[in-house]
Amino acid sequence: MMEESDLELFAQSLRQAIDRHKGENLDAALAEIGWFDALATDAQTAIAALFPILGTANASSTALEGVLAVRLNASSGPGRVVLPALDGWEPPGVRDGDLLTVRGLLMGPVDDGEVLVIVANGADGGAAAAAVSSSLLNFRTVGGMDPAARLMEVTGELPCPELSSVEQDTWEQAIALGRLAIGYQIVGAARAMLELARDHALNRVQFGQPIARFQALRHRLAETLVAIEGAEAVLEAGVANTTPFLAANAKAIAGRAGRTACRHCQQVLAGIGYTSEHEFHRYMKRTIVLDSILGSTARLTHDIGAQLLSVGHLPESLPL
Amino acid sequence: MDLDTYRTGLDQWLDEHVAELTPPYAGVGTMQERVDHLSKVRRLCFETGWARWGWPEEVGGLGGSTILRAYLGEALASRGLVDPNFYSTPEVLAPAVIRAADPRLAAEFVPLLLSGEEYWCQGFSEPGSGSDLASLSCRATRGEDGWRVTGQKVWTSFAQFAQRCVLLVRTGTQESAHRGITVLFVDMDTPGITIRPLATIDGSEEFAEVFFDDVPVPFERTVGKPDGGWAVAMDILPDERSTSLWHRGAILNRQMDELLAKAPAESLSPTAVGETAQLLLGFRARSRATQYRLASGERIGAETSIDKVLLASAEQAVLDLVLEGLSQQLVLGDDAISAQWRADFFFSRAASIYGGSAEIQRNVIARRLLDLGPDR
Repeated sequence: MMEESDLELFAQSLRQAIDRHKGENLDAALAEIGWFDALATDAQTAIAALFPILGTANASSTALEGVLAVRLNASSGPGRVVLPALDGWEPPGVRDGDLLTVRGLLMGPVDDGEVLVIVANGADGGAAAAAVSSSLLNFRTVGGMDPAARLMEVTGELPCPELSSVEQDTWEQAIALGRLAIGYQIVGAARAMLELARDHALNRVQFGQPIARFQALRHRLAETLVAIEGAEAVLEAGVANTTPFLAANAKAIAGRAGRTACRHCQQVLAGIGYTSEHEFHRYMKRTIVLDSILGSTARLTHDIGAQLLSVGHLPESLPL
Repeated sequence: MDLDTYRTGLDQWLDEHVAELTPPYAGVGTMQERVDHLSKVRRLCFETGWARWGWPEEVGGLGGSTILRAYLGEALASRGLVDPNFYSTPEVLAPAVIRAADPRLAAEFVPLLLSGEEYWCQGFSEPGSGSDLASLSCRATRGEDGWRVTGQKVWTSFAQFAQRCVLLVRTGTQESAHRGITVLFVDMDTPGITIRPLATIDGSEEFAEVFFDDVPVPFERTVGKPDGGWAVAMDILPDERSTSLWHRGAILNRQMDELLAKAPAESLSPTAVGETAQLLLGFRARSRATQYRLASGERIGAETSIDKVLLASAEQAVLDLVLEGLSQQLVLGDDAISAQWRADFFFSRAASIYGGSAEIQRNVIARRLLDLGPDR
C-alpha cells in the first residue's frame, strides 16, 4: 500500500502525463511513470488513482485492458487483452473443437503482429486464455457515438492456438476490477460535466441574475452531486473489498450516476450543451460508451435483480 | 475496545438474550408498549455495558470509538429488536448536549437517557417555522430567577413520553433571526407545558404539539450561550444524518431481505429489485464512510445532506417495492404483520420530510457543497 503522500505525488504525475500525452503516447507515459507496475502490486490503488483522472480529462487509453491483463497474469506491462463484446461480460472467444471464434473490443489501435490475450469459453464450460498475433484477426476502427474513444472491434475465426486454462474465479476477478476501473472513469467524467454546468450556471445571466440562483437548476446540480458521491462511495467499498457482487453494483451505480449527470448538466447548459463547440458533448458520449462496456447499467441491474430474486435473500455487504 | 471484539461479544450476548430482547407484541404495538420495550432494551444494554461503549466516561460511558454505537444500533435493528426511529434519539440529541451544555448537566442527564430511564424530545419545529427554522417564535424572556417560556412547538416526536426537551427558543427580537435563538434543556413535567399528541398517517400518536404557557426554566438549563443557540442547533443537524441514519440503513436491509424472501414469485420486476438494492447499497456505502469519518474525530457537516438524500431515496424505493410485492398484506391485511408493513410504508414517506426536507437538503448541497452562491 502506498502512503498518502506518495499517492498524491503519484496522482500528480498521472495528471501531468494525461495533460501532455494522448493515445499510444499516453500509454507509454503511464508505463514510464510506473502505473503498470503499481497495477501489478496493488491493482485497486492503481485503478482508483488513474481512472477518475482519465474520466475528467476525457482521455483515451488502453489501461483498462491492462487491468484485465494483470488479473489474468498475462502481462507485467501494458498488456493487450481483448474485452468482451459490447454490453456483455462473457469471454470474447468461443472454442469449438479446433476452431476459435472471437468477437470483442479493444480500447485502442493495435500494431501489426502485436500479441493479444484472448480468453475463450469452451464447449466443456471451462475458460482458457490464448496469446494470438493480431495478424490472425480482423479489426475495425469504431467511429460510432464517440470516435475519440478509439475503440476497435475485433473479430476472427482461427485454428485454435495453444491454450492455458483460466479459473472461472480469475475471469470474474478480472471483470470485477475492470468494472471498478470503468466506474471510476465514468465518475470522473460526471464530475467534469458537473463542473461545466456549475460554471455555466454561475456565469449565465437571465432575468438580471445568474441562473445559479434558480432553485430548479440548483436542485438538478445538487441531485447530480448526490448521484456522484453515492457512486464513488460504492466504488471505494469495491476497492476495499473487490467482490464480483460489489463491483457489478458499483459499475451499475456509477453508470446511472453518469447518465444522471448527462441529463441534468445538459439541461442546465441548455443550448450550448447541445453544440459540438462546448466540451460537454465529449463527456456525454464517453459516458454512454463506457457504460456499455463490461455490462451496461440496465443489463447489470436486471441481472443483479434476477439473482436476488432467485436466492430470495439480500447478501450481507458493507459490514462496519 | 476494538470493533471486532465488540462485535463478537455483542453478537453472542444478543443471541443468548434474544428472548428477553424481542418485543413481546406482534407487529407495531401500541405507543406505550413500544416505549416500555425500548426502555427495557436500553436498560439491559446499559447494565451490561454494551450501550456505554462509544460514549465519553464523563456521561456514564466507557469511552471508545463512535463506531461501536453505530454497530450496536445496527445489531439491534437488524434483528428486529428495536425500531431505529425510536432507538436513535440519543444519537441526535446527546452529542450536542455533551458538546455545548454545562458538563455537570450532561453528566447528570445523559446517563439517564442512555440507560432507558428517561426519554428526551427535540423541540425545534413550530407551526410557523418548519424549513425556515431561524424564524421561530416560541419566546423565552428573562425573569428574576430564570427564563419564562411561552409559545408552541409541533412535530415533536415522543413528547408525551419524554422527561426532557432540548428546546429552541427566541431570546432576541424576531428580526434577530438566527442570532437571537437560545437552546434550553427543559423538564417536561414543569407546570405550564401541555402536550397534545397528533395521530400520524398510520394512526400512531408518534409526535405531538407542545404548548408552553409561561413555563419557568432555570438559567442553569441554558445549553451553550444565550442567543448562541443557532450554533448548537446547527451542530445537532449533522448528528441527525450520521449514526442514526446508519441504524435506519440496517432496518432497510432487513426489510429488503424479508421482501425478497416473502414476495410471491413473479410479483417483482428484476430491474426494479436491482435498482432498489443499488440505491440501498449507495446509501450504505456513503453512510458507512461517514461513520468512519465521525469515528476518526472529524467534525461532520453539510456533506451529510448527501447521506440524507440518499437515505430518503433508498427508503422510499424499498417500501415502494414492498407495496408492489406484498400488496395483498399492505392493502387487505388486518393482522399485526400487515399493519407493521403498512406502518413501515407510511413512515418511508416521511423520510424526505423529517430532519430537513429533501428540498432543504438539496438547498444545502447547492449552497455549501457546490458553492452556487445565494439563492435569493
